[in-house]
This record gives sequence, C-alpha cells and structure tokens, in this order.
Amino acid sequence: MKSLLRIEKIAVEYATEGGRLRALDGATLTVAAGETVGIVGESGSGKSTLALTIGRVLPAYARRVAGDILFDEQSVFAHSDSELRAFRRDELGFIFQNPVSALDPTMRVKYQLAHILDLKSSDPAIMSHLERVGLKDVERVANRFPHELSGGMAQRVVIALAIARGPRLLIADEPTSSLDSTIRDQILELLFSLPAQTGATLLLFTHDLRSVAKYCDRVAVMYGGDVIENGLAEAVFSRPLHPYADALLKAAPGAEAIGGKIEAIPGRPPILRERSERCPFAPRCTWVVDLCRKQRPASEIIAGRLVSCHRAEERATAAPAQLVKGANNAS
Amino acid sequence: MRIPFQGDFLSRLAVVLLAILLLLGFVGPSLPVGDPAAIAFGPRLSPPAPGWLMGTDNLGRTMLPRVLQGIRITFVLATAPVLITSVLAVVIGMLAGYLGGWFDELVARLADVLFAFPSLLLGLILVAIMGPGVRGITAAIILITLPLMVRVVRATTLSIASRDYVAASRVSGASLPRLLLVHLLPNIAGAVVVQATFTISVSMLIESGLSFLGIGVQPPVASLGSLVQNGSVYLVQAPWLALAPGFFLAVAIFSVNLLGDGLRDRLDPLEAHGLK
Amino acid sequence: MSYLRLFRFAIERLASALLTLLGVSILVFTAIHLIPGSYEAVMLGPQAPEAARERLREKYGLDDPLPQQYMRWLLAFLGGDMGIALCRSQQSIGQQACENADQAPIIAEFARRAPATIQLAFMAAGMANLVGIPLGILAGLSAGSRGVRGTSRAISALGMGIPSFVLGTLFVYVFSVHDLGLTVGGYVPLSEDPETNLRAMVLPAITLSVFGTALFARTTRDAVLTVLAEPYIMAAVARGESPGQIVRRHVLRNAAIPVVTVSAVNMGYLLGGAAIAELLFSVPGFGWYVLAAIHKRDYAVVQAGVLVAAVAFVGVNLLADLAYAIIDPRTIRRGLG
Repeated sequence: MKSLLRIEKIAVEYATEGGRLRALDGATLTVAAGETVGIVGESGSGKSTLALTIGRVLPAYARRVAGDILFDEQSVFAHSDSELRAFRRDELGFIFQNPVSALDPTMRVKYQLAHILDLKSSDPAIMSHLERVGLKDVERVANRFPHELSGGMAQRVVIALAIARGPRLLIADEPTSSLDSTIRDQILELLFSLPAQTGATLLLFTHDLRSVAKYCDRVAVMYGGDVIENGLAEAVFSRPLHPYADALLKAAPGAEAIGGKIEAIPGRPPILRERSERCPFAPRCTWVVDLCRKQRPASEIIAGRLVSCHRAEERATAAPAQLVKGANNAS
Repeated sequence: MRIPFQGDFLSRLAVVLLAILLLLGFVGPSLPVGDPAAIAFGPRLSPPAPGWLMGTDNLGRTMLPRVLQGIRITFVLATAPVLITSVLAVVIGMLAGYLGGWFDELVARLADVLFAFPSLLLGLILVAIMGPGVRGITAAIILITLPLMVRVVRATTLSIASRDYVAASRVSGASLPRLLLVHLLPNIAGAVVVQATFTISVSMLIESGLSFLGIGVQPPVASLGSLVQNGSVYLVQAPWLALAPGFFLAVAIFSVNLLGDGLRDRLDPLEAHGLK
Repeated sequence: MSYLRLFRFAIERLASALLTLLGVSILVFTAIHLIPGSYEAVMLGPQAPEAARERLREKYGLDDPLPQQYMRWLLAFLGGDMGIALCRSQQSIGQQACENADQAPIIAEFARRAPATIQLAFMAAGMANLVGIPLGILAGLSAGSRGVRGTSRAISALGMGIPSFVLGTLFVYVFSVHDLGLTVGGYVPLSEDPETNLRAMVLPAITLSVFGTALFARTTRDAVLTVLAEPYIMAAVARGESPGQIVRRHVLRNAAIPVVTVSAVNMGYLLGGAAIAELLFSVPGFGWYVLAAIHKRDYAVVQAGVLVAAVAFVGVNLLADLAYAIIDPRTIRRGLG
C-alpha cells in the first residue's frame, strides 16, 4: 500500500508569553491513499496543531523544531512559498470547526467559490459544486452571505470550498462540534461519502469517538503531542493497548454499560515545555511502573498496531479480567 | 516599587515628558524667571537671549514666564472639565447600561444629538451663549466630550452586567447603589481611565483651538493657545512668540496621547483589539 | 430579499437621523433664546431700526408661545429662509443700511462661501485618505515587527497631537519667509484660475489633513490587525491564497468598516477645523464667515451656520451607515451599536 502522507517524529513549539510550549512532541503517523483516519484525543493533545502543521498553516509564533511531514514522498517543509500555496490550493482541503467564521462575512457564497475555481461568479459550474455537497436550492445559497446560512448549510459550503479543486487530502478539524446534534450525522455522512466519490484521503480530527468508530478505517490516539496508539479502528476500539486509549474509550459518553457511570480520567494532560523524556501519561496511568518515569517508550508494532507503551505487550496478552482491574500488579 | 510600563519605551517617554511639563508649569513660574507683567522688561520683539530665554513680545515683556503660566493654564483647563465629564459619564452611563429601558433610550438619543455638532462649532455656540472665558470653555469641553464617554461607560457596563457574578449579587438582593459601586464600578474603572486620558488630549485641542480663535481664555489669563494667537501677529518678525508655545502645546498633547495608548494596552487590552 | 432589507435599514437610519436633527434644531433654537436680551436685539443687533424689529416679530410670531415660534422658525428654515445677516458695515453707516432688511439673506451668503470650504474639505479628506489608509495597511500587515509597531504608534500620537493652528502657523511662517511655490493667502475661486487656486489651497488643506491622516492610519492599522486574527483569514491561507489575494479579497473589505465610521468622524472635524485653516490662510469660506459672525455677535448667522453644519455632519454619518450596510451585510441584522 502506497502512503500518501507520512508524518515523522514531528515536533512543533509555540513561543508564548509564559515561555515555550511544545504542542507536538515527536508525533508519527502514516496514512495510505484513500484511507479514512480518525485522530482522537483530549483538547491540548496536539490534534489541532497537527492538522494545521500538515498544511504549514501555523501562526507566526509557532515553529517546527524537529521531524518532517512528507506528502507524496515530498517534504512539505521543502516547498518554496509559491509551491506551498500551490500544494495547499490543489492537494489539501481544510474543513474547520466553526464554518460561519471560516467564511468571509462580506462575500456572497458564489464569489468565494468563484475565487477558488478561478471562474466568473455567473459560471454554472459553481452551482454544480454546491449540489455536490447536498445543498438544495443552490441558486439561493449561492447568493447568500455566510451569516444568512444555518450552521449545517455553512459547513456544506465550507466542504464545497474544500473539495472544489479535487484535493487528494481532506483535513477536517472538529467539523461537527459547533453544529446541532441533529445535523452532525448528516455532515459526517457527507464527509465520509467524499473519499468514495473523489478518491480523496480523509483525516478527521475529533474528540467524538463514536463518529470515529462508526466511519473511520483507522484510528490514531494522541496524547501529549504524540500519537500513542494507531491501528485499525475495529482492533483499537475492541481492545485498546495503551492505557490512555483504554481510559479515553471508557471516559467517552455512551461507552459505559447501561446503568454504569462514565469513568473520568483523573489528572490533567501534560503541558510540555521541551521534549518529554518519560512516558507523558505516566502521572495519570494506573499501569505505571518505574521504567515509565525514566524512559519514554518507543513506538512498536504490537498486535497489528503501533503503540508507545512499555507495558503494551503485557497488556496484549493479559486476560480481560486483568485489564479491567488495570491493577499495578506486575513489573 | 514596581516600575510602571516595563518594556514600553514610548509610554515611559510620555510619563517623563508630562512630568517635565508639569514641573515647568507648576514650579517654573515661582523660579526667578522675570516678571511676566513687566512692560519693557527687555527690548521689544527681541529674539531669545540670556535674561529672556524665549524672547520678548511687542511690549517688551519676557515670554518665558508667560509660556510657563500658559502650560499650567492649559493643563488645568484641560483636566478639570474632564474630571467633571468622567463623573457625569460614569453615573449616567452606568445607570443607562444597567437600567436599560426608556432611560437608556433617552440617553442614547441625547448623545446622538450632541454628537451631531461638529465639536468646534458646538464649542463656538456655547461660548456665544455663555460669553468667552473659562466658564464657556469648561461648558464646551464637558458637552463635547460627554457623549463619547457616556457611550464607552454604557457599553462597558453592558458587557459586565451580563456576567454571572453581577446576576448572582442581584439575585441575592444587593441594593442598586451597592451593585453599581461595588460590582460594576471597579470593573469599568480601567476603561474609564483610558478614555479619560484620551479625553484630556481632546479637551486640550478644544481649549487651545477656542483660545486661538480669540473666544477662549481672555486676557490677562493666557493659555498656550492664546499665546500662539497673540504671537501670530508678529509671526514674520518674531516667529518664536507663536512657535514656542505651539511647540509646548504639541508636546503636551503628544505625550497625553502616548500615555493613553500605553494605558489602553495595559488596563483595557480587549479594547485594543476590538472595534473602537 | 436582501435589497428590501437594505431599503428598510436605510429608511430606519434616515428616520433616526431626522430625529437627531430635530433634537439639534430644538437645542439651537433654545440656545439662541437663552442669550440675554430680547430676541429681536439678539438677532438684529442693538442698532436695528424699529421697522426691522417689527418685521421680525411678525415673521416669527414672537408674541406666540415658544413651541409655536419654534415651528414657525423651523418651517422657515426648511424653506431656505435662514434669516438675514447683520449689515456688514453696521458700525460706520449705522441704521440707514439696515432699512432694507432683504439685503443679505444668510442662505445667499452661505452659498457664496460654500465652494471654498467644500473644496478645502475634499482636498483635506482626500489627502488624509490617500496617505493615512495605505500607511495604516502597511503598519497593520507588518505589525509583527516591534519597530513598526512603535513607529506607527509614535507617528499617530504626533499627528493627532499637533493642533492644526500650530501646524498652520508654522506653515504660514515658513512659506511667508521663503518662496517655495505655495502661497499663504491669495485665494481665487477654482473656476477662475485653477493654478492660483491650488497654490493657495494646498497649505490649508495639508494643515487640515494631518489630524485625519493620523486618525486614518491608526484606525486602519487596528482594523487590519483585528481582521488578520479572524478565522476566515486562516481559512484563506489554508486554501492557498497568496498574501496579495488575501489582502485584496478579504482584508481590505472587512477592515473598511471601522475606517468608514472614522471618515464620518473626520468629516465633522473638517467642518469645524476648516474655520481655523480658513482664518490662517485667508480663505473666504463658510467657517471663517461663521467665526467672524461670532466675533460680531451676529447670532442669526451663528445659528444658521451651526444648523447647516449639523445637517451636513448628520448627512455624512447617514451615508457612512449605508456604506457600512453595503460593505458588511451583517450590519443590517445586528443593527448599529
């Protein structure tokens, strides 16, 4: 299988007033062409930074300090300014969290599409782009300003803009979290119909585990600026090997048994200032051993997936009852 | 003591310049700089020389003490009305923002009406009614600066009154004066201080403008604006008469503007980013 | 759909502007009545002949209650009858010249002087726009650099800190002493001799424009910075738009909104400031005329002058509101602050 995107040990830091913040700390992820990958994690895990880093659309105070991102085997950091713009324009399609604020408030929808397509705003092709994303009454939508659209309609417009030039990679960052729950599924259905329709690869950055379980081929779990477990969605969801992935699944609403309660993960995600030299989850982990505090686990292939945990192998072979206990018994 | 405006060179410059101007204006005249009223103190229209450091006017009066007094008058006439404006604006603006309803509507309408007068013309007509002099200037400055200040206080009050802790204390039965004074006032104080600083620069422009036009301060009182006016008659023969007070006036307003910027960045950072 | 809404919005703003002007007229009317002395003496001057006083009493119904007087006065004003200016040579000729009360209708005096003031205001506003807005855009786009930030802050504080009469006085001095091609005074109407006219008008226009230039630069810079922080700008970057395209398509239009508001504020400043520039550079305009009227205690002219200026100012603000609504369609729904 040929990989479309290879993220290799990428590290990104922000210069803030309170000093340096390391938002990405060696995250690694490979995505094959045509795949749909869900990238999950709490806020602060580095999801959004990773999404932006792929297109190098980071704010000026952010800096890549290590690692690389290869698209089609070419480093995105090697592009000149104009190559970078062409790459963003033709290969990438971004879909943002708040669709209304991602659209220029002073420009009618048809002009925003026309700019992307290099067409006149009267060109009938514009209407077909709006039809493709399931909008009804496209003439009217085309003539509207963003604030005159509902959230769902606006997100469809944003998707139309994203796929207008037939990009090979779609990057959706929390595309449904600002929408009413009733239209979330419609938007997700639309998003996940695109790979089949256009052959695009789709990265869904979200904290909504259920939509990942439902729609994605593969899942990558992020913690402390790193991808700590990454494998087929089915495998990871049925038996998460990293204790954090395990805890995250249990903490998700809907994961609890009927009558059971949601298990919150005690503690807070780490705020990194420099490269972490231990397992970032160690302070919150119920499986923690001394090694975890001394040495950062390398990413290894265990049970068909990539995991960064000293005790992953042990967990892969442990009996289910032991996993539930999560006891700190073996060493 | 902490040094204010750390890392903000321009604000510090403003503070230093203002300190120098205030010293010149309030301490300067009591130094041995000559009798400002003495006619034929020196030769007429003499350029600056030892003995009369800023030259002499057409009556041979030494300009230096007159300019120093002008600095003081300018500062007094600019700040006193702004204090009155601030107090009025805080009371009216807080009540309008907090009570809403017809009172708010009335205040907004009146502010619109006052806004509709180009400021210098509003000053002119007030001076026409009240007669030239300090009273007319003070009334003009208050009426010109009040509407904007009320709007700022009202908008800030609205944004704070909607916060939870205000609602909570209202529910718990706090009286209106207590609510306004204890919960709202401390929170709008920053915005008021920033706006008042800018208003001082506006009122310096108004006072000096009216005085320059001859309908502001009347002799024997002289502000920097009226000194420029007096000097402009002899502009070609004795340019220092008009340009020296003009220079100090420009430095004063420049420093107040810089200080206002600095305060805004510190006390009211939200506004620095929003629409003004 | 949205045109209908725009129309409704325009009607609303117009109604609001008229209401404001009504308030202005009441204030001006009351103000004149507050001046000590009988209305006839205030309006016509102490030396006016009895016949003229009688005519005035009759015309405005000065024996009627005040509200009725106000209505009469307002209707006359709306009909273009702003009253009569004091006889210009009142002191020397005395009562005789004032026998003919129709000799100097204020509206005619205004009309004669308006072109100079309008030309001055347009030149000053044009300069302020052409210099201030590009400066503000540059400052906003390069705001990452500390040097640019400090420089633009210092320049705007300076530009808004030099009173126009100080700057004007400096110009008068420099250009009277040295022959630099521009004249101090020597105004002729534009239609008579454009070159001489421009030579005389450039200095007053620059004098007037400095405040506006600083104001525009500052407002534009803040507006550009605010827009640059918006998510749709990042979205445009992510779509591969070039910095030039982003500035042209998104930044300018969105940053224009506060700048339009400030243009209206600046117009009000120009209306008042024109008086100072006209006085300094001997431009026979509207502002100078009203100023002279104040010195002469010619309250009929002052009253009419203030009203006309307020109408012009409110009109400009109304245009700004409409421009707003066209630039930013959200305005219509949100209403103006």
